[in-house]
Amino acid sequence: MPPWSDFQPFIPIGVALGGVYALSGVGMVVLYRATGVLNLAFGAIGAMGALIAWSMINSWHVPGGIAYVACVLFGGVLTLAYGMVFGRALAARDPLVKAAATLGLALLLLGVMDLLWPAQVTRSLQLPSDNSGFTVGAASVDWTQVIALGFAVAVTVGTAVFLRVTKIGTAMRALADDREITATLGVPVRRVEAAAWFGSGLLAGAAGLLLADLDTLASDALTFLVIFTVSAALIARLRSLTVTFVAAIVIGVVDNLATPINSITNFRDMTPFVLAIVALLFFARGRQYSFARGGIR
Amino acid sequence: MRKHLGWRVRIVAVLVVAAVAGLSIAAASSGKAGHAAATLKCGMGTGKAATGTPIKLGAIAVKQAGTDFTDVPNMANAYFKCVNANGGINNHPIEQIQLDDQTVPSQLAADAKQLIQTDHVVGIAGSSDIIDCAINSAYYQKEGFYVLEAGIAEQCYSSPNEAPVNMGPRYSADGATQTAIMLGAKKIAFDQSNVPGTQYNLQGSELIAKQHHIPIVPLTENAAAINGATAAEREVQAAGPGGAVVLVFTPPVALQILQGAQHLGLEKKVIWTCATPCNTDFLAKSLGSAWNQGCKPSCLYVNAEMNDEDTDNGPDSTLYKQVLKQYGQAVAGGIGSFSQFGFVIGQLAVKALLSIKSHVYTAKTVNAAFKALKGFKTDMLCKPWYFGPLPNNTDYTVYSENGKMQIVPHSGCLPIDPVDPEVAKARAYEKAHGV
Repeated sequence: MPPWSDFQPFIPIGVALGGVYALSGVGMVVLYRATGVLNLAFGAIGAMGALIAWSMINSWHVPGGIAYVACVLFGGVLTLAYGMVFGRALAARDPLVKAAATLGLALLLLGVMDLLWPAQVTRSLQLPSDNSGFTVGAASVDWTQVIALGFAVAVTVGTAVFLRVTKIGTAMRALADDREITATLGVPVRRVEAAAWFGSGLLAGAAGLLLADLDTLASDALTFLVIFTVSAALIARLRSLTVTFVAAIVIGVVDNLATPINSITNFRDMTPFVLAIVALLFFARGRQYSFARGGIR
Repeated sequence: MRKHLGWRVRIVAVLVVAAVAGLSIAAASSGKAGHAAATLKCGMGTGKAATGTPIKLGAIAVKQAGTDFTDVPNMANAYFKCVNANGGINNHPIEQIQLDDQTVPSQLAADAKQLIQTDHVVGIAGSSDIIDCAINSAYYQKEGFYVLEAGIAEQCYSSPNEAPVNMGPRYSADGATQTAIMLGAKKIAFDQSNVPGTQYNLQGSELIAKQHHIPIVPLTENAAAINGATAAEREVQAAGPGGAVVLVFTPPVALQILQGAQHLGLEKKVIWTCATPCNTDFLAKSLGSAWNQGCKPSCLYVNAEMNDEDTDNGPDSTLYKQVLKQYGQAVAGGIGSFSQFGFVIGQLAVKALLSIKSHVYTAKTVNAAFKALKGFKTDMLCKPWYFGPLPNNTDYTVYSENGKMQIVPHSGCLPIDPVDPEVAKARAYEKAHGV
């Protein structure tokens, strides 16, 4: 087993990545609770937003700040558009069908990105916050990592408060409990769902931007990083924002802390799967599990 | 009324999606170079378009998510277009038939058969595929085809019917390891993708390190799911104080690792060296000046199988850049090693075709001409090139400065250490045949 000093540098890396997974996870859980859709295109939407930002900066010479805002807005607009076009048509379908439809969107976006931003070109998106930082023990920390964690905390807390105290947030929670009854009570279901689609999309754009910096600006890699997010959301049983946040951080940290251990380092990509399976088996003790709305009963 | 409103909203949503798609297309395409007006002299240099029956040349390149080497055949084709606009090969234009591969052995075997048996190509020039040599070398040999390519797999450097213009990952990694040792590395961490066949890339560096009594730690990464900072920290820990890291990755993954190192301030912790894919200006530009501070002249050195296009204005380098600008719209990566490989392959193929005195271009005459290639001089290579398994075995070392890759001052050409057996064989062949 390597000394503790060898593990230390991997903690901030894992916490920062976990923060971005948490950001995505919160967006995913909120959308699922409001609409019943597990958005598997979350990563692809963020990836495309980040690539658009890259093109704006490198081809149009647009200031970085505007490009970053465009990336986040792109996520919101595209997700909202998908929700408006397909959300209603798929509203009555099984959650598995809804999830599969978003997988279709992910594959479509992946193809478009491969066409418009070919893999032969090396790209990167660096935020100004990368250029400075500080050290904690044997670990170096840069400000992008701090922002990733801080933003994740803010979004998790902010979303929880929003769902609890605002009218639209209360409507979202009501939708999560029972869509039909909520609609009967006169809640503008379509408008509430649109807000969930848009808000979730904004988080997809923000997560794409941060991951493009902390990880890579590659369409395929960013698209499939959704696996980490889905795992965190599943551990939270697509319900609790707090558990989603904690699970995402744990996944990021465990995945990275396994790196210096030579015997398991090549298997560390299994971290999200293993943790999700263990958690699901634990939570499913004595319960009936199904893909139907409501998940575990 | 509600229903109508719903449809209107949907139409608006579709329009938004269309607008977003348009924005994406515009954003992605706006950086591409336009046509240059000047007429270039390539091949016969007549300035008149070739109008005869085409000479068909085939090429296979890997094109899949994350790995796309089509810049090699695309650049060869850009050169062919320039030749075709200048009288072709005795008025015969060259027609390139390019097939893409997704690393599927059965598809690749079928592709080779399609090129030779169905499309009736008379030669193969410009291939660059991860497994083409492994799958199709025996078939090419059986059909009497002598292939001009940018090689990757082991078989590209051992088959008598294959002649790569590049060194490939193993020998370029050898060069990177040599550089690390020359710079005083006490230990080497050698990191590459964990795809099948990469053990072969490591073997040469192990021999070189052993010769100098330097320990070498082999590492592998799942490139599809790699995090740059994590990989960089792991490499630095494996190399230890006074050590060196040798990276053998595609440009996007190498950049990811180097930027990860930058995030963590690891630039000066070890000596960083990299095989040829790191030799791109975009990588240098993305890394910035942090790699030039505290190390002289740099903290990162790259083995470069071809010359540096920013500082070299020799005739071939100049023509390469002009052809790329005028005919290279399909070359997505622009200036870089892969398009350099394609350009040199194009030049070699044209030289061979022009050497056919009978002006009869069959598979037999064309492949005989390919096989007979030797003494090809270009300012893009350190030594004259000949048709053989490892003709490019002496190359350059570059470093990044001011957003560009530049040849290390006074470094000259770096002969790859003949302790690697195929290099020794190539040198013996060169001595015996006077090439």
